[in-house]
Amino acid sequence: MTENNKNTRTLRRLVLTSLLLAIVVIGLGAYTRLTHAGLGCPDWPTCYGLLDVPQTSAQIAAAEQAFPQRPVEPAKAWNEMIHRYFAGSLGLLIAAIAFFSIKLRFSKSARIRYPVVLPLFILCVVIFQAALGMWTVTLKLMPIVVMGHLLGGFTTICLLFLLYLRINAKGINAQGANLVDGQLKKYSSYALLGITILTAQIALGGWTSSNYAAMSCVELPICQGDWLSDLTFEQSFDLIPPSKDSYEFGHLAHNERVTIHVAHRLGAIITGVFLAWLAIMVFLKARNHSIKSAAIILLSLLIIQISLGVSNIWFSLPLKVAVAHNLVAACLMLSLITLAYKLRKNSEESLYE
Amino acid sequence: MSKDINDTMSPVINADHQVFSMSVMLANWRAYYDITKPKVVALLVLTALVGMSLSVPGGLPWQLLLPAMLGIALLSSAAAAINHIVDEKIDTVMGRTHNRPLPEGRISATNAIVFATSIALLGFIILYALVNPLTAFLTLAGLVGYSFVYTMYLKRATPQNITIGGLAGAIPPLLGWTAMTNEIAPNALLLVLIIFTWTPPHFWALAIHRKDDYAKVNIPMLPVTHGVSFTKTQILLYTVLLFVVCLLPYLVGMSNWLYLVGACSLNLIFFGYAWQLKFHAKEETAMATFKFSIIHLMLLFIILLLDHYWLPMS
Repeated sequence: MTENNKNTRTLRRLVLTSLLLAIVVIGLGAYTRLTHAGLGCPDWPTCYGLLDVPQTSAQIAAAEQAFPQRPVEPAKAWNEMIHRYFAGSLGLLIAAIAFFSIKLRFSKSARIRYPVVLPLFILCVVIFQAALGMWTVTLKLMPIVVMGHLLGGFTTICLLFLLYLRINAKGINAQGANLVDGQLKKYSSYALLGITILTAQIALGGWTSSNYAAMSCVELPICQGDWLSDLTFEQSFDLIPPSKDSYEFGHLAHNERVTIHVAHRLGAIITGVFLAWLAIMVFLKARNHSIKSAAIILLSLLIIQISLGVSNIWFSLPLKVAVAHNLVAACLMLSLITLAYKLRKNSEESLYE
Repeated sequence: MSKDINDTMSPVINADHQVFSMSVMLANWRAYYDITKPKVVALLVLTALVGMSLSVPGGLPWQLLLPAMLGIALLSSAAAAINHIVDEKIDTVMGRTHNRPLPEGRISATNAIVFATSIALLGFIILYALVNPLTAFLTLAGLVGYSFVYTMYLKRATPQNITIGGLAGAIPPLLGWTAMTNEIAPNALLLVLIIFTWTPPHFWALAIHRKDDYAKVNIPMLPVTHGVSFTKTQILLYTVLLFVVCLLPYLVGMSNWLYLVGACSLNLIFFGYAWQLKFHAKEETAMATFKFSIIHLMLLFIILLLDHYWLPMS
């Protein structure tokens, strides 16, 4: 039993560490994108052929000879490389979690059935995420790849968090104690719907950022001028763009960017109203303390996230606010997952019970 | 028992009460939805759909497909609702099921009976009028077999309850088949046989998980009467039997190699679960086996469907 406890504790610590690291990597990713450092290194996985960044004048001269189309900017190159090294460490940590999970699952002495499919799946996601990271560079910041890279990062952290929730639930109540009474049952589906809506809104946010549309609307609440007549849906959401040398600073026309930005704003209204309604209804109907607090955290993060979004417009996209808008989006998703997890139904039924 | 039924039946006659019950029904749709075991019914309808598809080559006429699916779904839902009504008392005592709609008082037994009777009647009429009488009566037989023979009698009478009662839940592929062809074909019975063999290991895994609950309410499930170890052996043996039975559709030339590969993989995994349950059981292995059994049946029938349309047998 003590050995089981020790294994569970080790696994929990590993997952918790990787969760914190994942938050850092997502923050660094947003920072890299927002400081226009995504092409700070024109090659992958090395930077101008080096393991770090060209620094001495000899190195810079050699680098610029090898990559004449991309002059060396050490600050940007550092942003990119630091992101790569942190992401690489996260990948190794996740690989360790996967191997440890397999070992625990098939160990004869373990009394708990440790999850094994989920850790392996996270490992696959993170490997694919590395590929997307490579394509952001080799395909010169093609918007779909940049957005996919963002969503891949969010998927990684969400699944890691789910793994954390599942490991924590082990041992405490293997039976799956029912916190949820009849009145609260339907909110389980609504929480899942909320996750879908929030995912779509995060994707729209990624699309806004990767198409450099964040500053295309500078007025509140929706956009400046006659924005309705500016809307054009023809190419705004084309996933495969026309071939270009580089997609840095965007390839779309102004009204296409306005359309993307407006879509993210309208999405914000829908997401905001729905999540606020969900959090308030669950808070009012829940009789259980842990569900109530999950609802409050969700509502608080929602308010912070909307304030950050408004600040982005109000103060013309300050770097810190923009990075925070990205990070709080991740936290918002995690808090929504917590709520959905606590509301989940033990719904497997049999005809014969 | 008969007194209970009289008590609950009498208010139905009262017209005022019925108006009241209609408004409650609308306001409380979630509880009605829950007592139909929607997920289980979805799986039953899937197996019926596969029965329909395999009965004829090529596409299915929607004029038969839609009413047949609807009728089978309605009668299955009614059967599940009757199961909830009959089991209200034991559900109240059992840990995992005490928060079902009836024990929690979200709907009354009277309303549940009215509801179950209505959808059963509607389903029967749909099948009789729009599909064919054979399917209608076979589906009704399934309902009677499940709700009355299994739930009311077998479940409380013998540890082999599930083995015999499993026939009622195994019948949907046959219903789908007769809906299309209006005759009982041997290949349809083969599909029934697969579910019939699958049912005991599927349900006993859950029964092991809930052994204490069943003991508390004196339901003679196999793990209660013969012990967990014996039940686990039975599960393991049944997965071997299921493996063999699942080969039959390929051997009689009903399905192609895709089905053979899929069925072998799924049954190997199921056998693996049963093996682990018997020899290296951990806290949640029984529940995991139960959950996998549902996925097993679902995927098996989806593969039957894919195999039928991608690699049709001449």
